[in-house]
Amino acid sequence: MRALTPRAYLPGLALLLVVAIPLVTADAVLLNILILIFLFATLGGAWNILGGYGGQLSLGHATYFGLGAYGSTLLLVDFGISPWLGALAGAAAAMALSLVLGLSCFRLRGPYFAIATIGVAEIMRLVVIDLPDVTQGARGVTLPFVGQSWALLQFRGKTEYYYLALGLMLATVAATVLVARSALGYRLRAIGQSEDAAGALGHDPAWTKQMANFVSAFFTAIAGTFYAQYFYYIEPNTVFGISLSIQIALVAIIGGVGTVWGPVLGAFILQSVAQLTQVFLGSSRFGGLQLLVYGVLLVAVILVQPRGVIGLARRVYGAACGRLPRWSRG
Amino acid sequence: METFLQAIAAGILIGGLYGLVSVGLSLIFGVLRIVNFAHGEFVMLGMYGAYVLHSALGLDPLVSLLVLGPVFFVFGALVQHLLLRRVLAAPDLAQIFLTVGLSIVLANAALLVFGADYRSVSVPYGDAYLSVGAIILPWTRIIAFAGAAILAGLLTLFLSRTDLGRTMRAAAQDREVAMLLGIDPDRVFLVAFGLGAALAAAAGVLLVTFFPVSPTAGTQFGLIAFVVVILGGLGSLGGALAAGLVVGVVESLGRFYLQGDWALTLVFSVLLLVLNLRSGRLLVR
Repeated sequence: MRALTPRAYLPGLALLLVVAIPLVTADAVLLNILILIFLFATLGGAWNILGGYGGQLSLGHATYFGLGAYGSTLLLVDFGISPWLGALAGAAAAMALSLVLGLSCFRLRGPYFAIATIGVAEIMRLVVIDLPDVTQGARGVTLPFVGQSWALLQFRGKTEYYYLALGLMLATVAATVLVARSALGYRLRAIGQSEDAAGALGHDPAWTKQMANFVSAFFTAIAGTFYAQYFYYIEPNTVFGISLSIQIALVAIIGGVGTVWGPVLGAFILQSVAQLTQVFLGSSRFGGLQLLVYGVLLVAVILVQPRGVIGLARRVYGAACGRLPRWSRG
Repeated sequence: METFLQAIAAGILIGGLYGLVSVGLSLIFGVLRIVNFAHGEFVMLGMYGAYVLHSALGLDPLVSLLVLGPVFFVFGALVQHLLLRRVLAAPDLAQIFLTVGLSIVLANAALLVFGADYRSVSVPYGDAYLSVGAIILPWTRIIAFAGAAILAGLLTLFLSRTDLGRTMRAAAQDREVAMLLGIDPDRVFLVAFGLGAALAAAAGVLLVTFFPVSPTAGTQFGLIAFVVVILGGLGSLGGALAAGLVVGVVESLGRFYLQGDWALTLVFSVLLLVLNLRSGRLLVR
């Protein structure tokens, strides 16, 4: 007779709960918060594959996000191409650019790599602003709403977006698990700890990093398309901005880099902060306060808990599992 | 030809300020081996400091400089003592994102205090200009450039003529050997970060007479300082000053001859180019 332990049934219960939420409520505010958590968990998770496991600290992931957002949106607005195809086109563009970035920047270490990625993202932002004939420039692009349509990924309510975002997040989590358990994952972690030692073992560090970069660019770009389809408006300073690049990295770092669930936890924490600052201090400057708290959290995590909040969460989870009942089966 | 000379002259004047911002970043890197991602925010805070002293007490930014320089030296030293000291031996992630976190805090604290509006300081000589042939140079920019040159000169004197300055250069050249020779690293780091912050803020104070300040003003100067120090060689002070002039001129030529923001695109392309050309040297850390 085997017992069903909390560690076995809690994840299933949690999954059941998140899947069931839109079935019991259509509350737009709640669903919106959860959608944003899933979106940022996807972004942080994608960053984590390259930055957390591989130690390549990108401060330019908005490059991939913006390519996903602009790629699908321009194809839709100019040529009427479905965002399903547009998402793949945007992801392909992001992966192509990631190769260029990888070839030119993966020789750089630590802060130099970070600075180079900022440079690439800034160039993308400026080019999109300065090519108004192609991109509509700094005004941004508004997506036309034509009505409920799966083909065009447009929905009146939030339920469909909820499941799309949840699916995107779970796909990123699954990809992270696959990468972490594969030979690629072991090589990545070796590079993250000591690139020289990893290179000495005979694997080409540049190619290992590029594989992670491809995966990271893919999911970040898809999330960019989702963002465009969800908000119906994109503009270069938001989707290619350094502020977004920093927030993507923050999700992973505050949650816990190099872990599967760290970015999900990080997205949950940061989105909670965003909501609380809006509720309690709903002034016109709450945007400043929200980011101020993000910055303080980041500094605090680095000084107090450099491995992220996930360590704390694991202890709480472990304690909870110890107290919850075991059900016998069979 | 006149446009060309005008662009060169304007580029040199702003380039002096870029050099002053960057020399602080380079000094911090040289001594602490840390890239300060909050450097642009020190420039922004210096601008707001001059703005506040001007609007509250009517002080000319040049006078404020005498007050704000020491204030920001202490501020920088505090940041070093309370925050950076704890990550000097930490992995890249902690070093990079500690100053990234600091930059977010400073920029958004400024947003909460001052709001998002652009603020400017108008001085009596704000509209005066010097014409040399067909070239027109605003006095505000000439004075700011002169101020930057004087501060850079004072820094050079400090580093070459005083014991503390020589100690810092020694620490920058070889930290381990310097410590073996009995140099107290904590004191050197404190002074280096304090000076770096004070130089960045001083550049902000000098800029504010012709450059409006907003909470995001620091981002641009921070990014340009990265370009400058990488072009001049991280840790090299003379390199930072010279590269400041080069970047100022490149950007200025871009602004005169290209439309829109292509000038900045040009500047960041220089960054990526130089990073690649120098990558052989940057590999060795």
